Amino acid sequence: MGKRITVPFGSQHVALPEPVRFVFQTENEKIVDVEVDVGYVHRGIEKACATKFKYMQVGYVVARVCGLCSISHTLGYVTAVERLMGVEVPKRALYLRLLVSELDRIHSHLLAMGHTAEVAGYENLFMQTFRHRELVMEMLELLTGNRVQFDYACIGGVNRDLTSDVEKVLRGKLKVLEEKAQWLKDVYENDFSLNLRWKGIGAVTEEMAKEMNVVGPPARAVGLKTDVRAEFDYLPFKEVGYRMVVLKGGSIYERNLVRALEILNSIEMCWNILDGLPEGDIKVPVKGLPEGEMFVRIEAPRGELFYYIRGSKKLILDRVRIRVPTFANIPVMKELFIGMDYADVPATVISFDPCLSCTAR
Amino acid sequence: MDFKSFRKKSPWILHYNTGSCNGCDIEILACLSPKYDVERFGILNRGNPKQSDILLVTGPVTKRAKERLLRLYFEMPEPKVVVAVGACACSGGVFRHMYNVENGVDKVIPVDVYVPGCAARPEAIIDGLIKALEILKSKGKDLELPSWCKADVKPPVNRAKLLNSCLEEFHGCRRD
Repeated sequence: MGKRITVPFGSQHVALPEPVRFVFQTENEKIVDVEVDVGYVHRGIEKACATKFKYMQVGYVVARVCGLCSISHTLGYVTAVERLMGVEVPKRALYLRLLVSELDRIHSHLLAMGHTAEVAGYENLFMQTFRHRELVMEMLELLTGNRVQFDYACIGGVNRDLTSDVEKVLRGKLKVLEEKAQWLKDVYENDFSLNLRWKGIGAVTEEMAKEMNVVGPPARAVGLKTDVRAEFDYLPFKEVGYRMVVLKGGSIYERNLVRALEILNSIEMCWNILDGLPEGDIKVPVKGLPEGEMFVRIEAPRGELFYYIRGSKKLILDRVRIRVPTFANIPVMKELFIGMDYADVPATVISFDPCLSCTAR
Repeated sequence: MDFKSFRKKSPWILHYNTGSCNGCDIEILACLSPKYDVERFGILNRGNPKQSDILLVTGPVTKRAKERLLRLYFEMPEPKVVVAVGACACSGGVFRHMYNVENGVDKVIPVDVYVPGCAARPEAIIDGLIKALEILKSKGKDLELPSWCKADVKPPVNRAKLLNSCLEEFHGCRRD
């Protein structure tokens, strides 16, 4: 055996868009030990939510926890406050939230898939994926007014209505997107070189996933039936044709395939929402101050997102606690790396779709 | 040989996230993708500070990221341009005065171009990059130091020493 070599990976690295740091101890090509450091982007949002901002402002602050799943964070917080204060949200607002959250899921999944292709050295596919991702970004911009930070959901409803002109354009774009997503799924499923590169690499076993509490698409790629959309009733998912995607295998290939299939399911849901959008108000006025405690689970694009709030009849909440999906997925990553070839590390990290600004907050 | 006129043709960018919400980062990625395509200006994203000309910084600079940011800045060769992308890189944005942030990139390193927006739109980022190219053309080989740095520099500069003295000063005047 060779000598041990220390290989730092991050916080700034060519193959890594996120400020996370791994320190690998390698023997020849094999990794024997790894340390993870996730704290580079800690900003202190939880503390600020409980000291600086009023409870109606916090929804816009927690959206800035993460730009990729900003609607999920707002949704988590807003749902928690609504349940605490007993607000009845109009049906139309719930459907519009669902629409934006599914479109957000599509763009986040496409980003993750494109990135995995890029670190596998397939830059052409990365570019194609990103080209089709722009369609979703345009749809989100039409619907919410901004490309990334939507600030769409607010306490008591949503901030912007869907007009019939916009709906027409959305339908046109959704049709194109459906074709493109189908094509992308075929490529990610059947491409010869991607199969060689990804099948069986970085495979999580079912026992490991159960023990390490994996969430989101990586868990569903192993065969665990875990999805908050089916388990926790926060939006009417069952009414719009939600199906859980579960595969066996658990390697990089299956993780990306789960994402591709979920995109197709999300597009189907978007069609159903546009077809059956109920009429009515989009917002109800909210009076009073939050008192008591409440927790909410949300399925963010990366997995289960947990929100806990506590208020005591004051404008400023006592506590806001956020538990994010990437944090739950880091232990299994660490376990996975030991015994793996160093060359497979970037693709494995990216295929878990880590979001460090969520993790560190 | 004079390389000045060629410098503008192929600037490489280095992107560092100092605590942003990833919103601006994915917009920078969108800039590199086919719809916006900054490669038509010769711009490529390379993660290596020693080969880069433009430093794109997103985020309000957290206390742990500032030392890394300073290191990256000193590792880049002159002439270089710093572009602060997004509201929080410009001034701290929504994170201003939170306990772990420095309220903007210009508190740590000199900034040439500010790109506003939360998140900054790709069009705005491209506009900022074009402005950065103009500045890159006019800049010379002089070393630019952060405004708080009092070290006197005489050529030839020993960068490792300079970085160390800067870091000492940084930690000396503000204990973390």
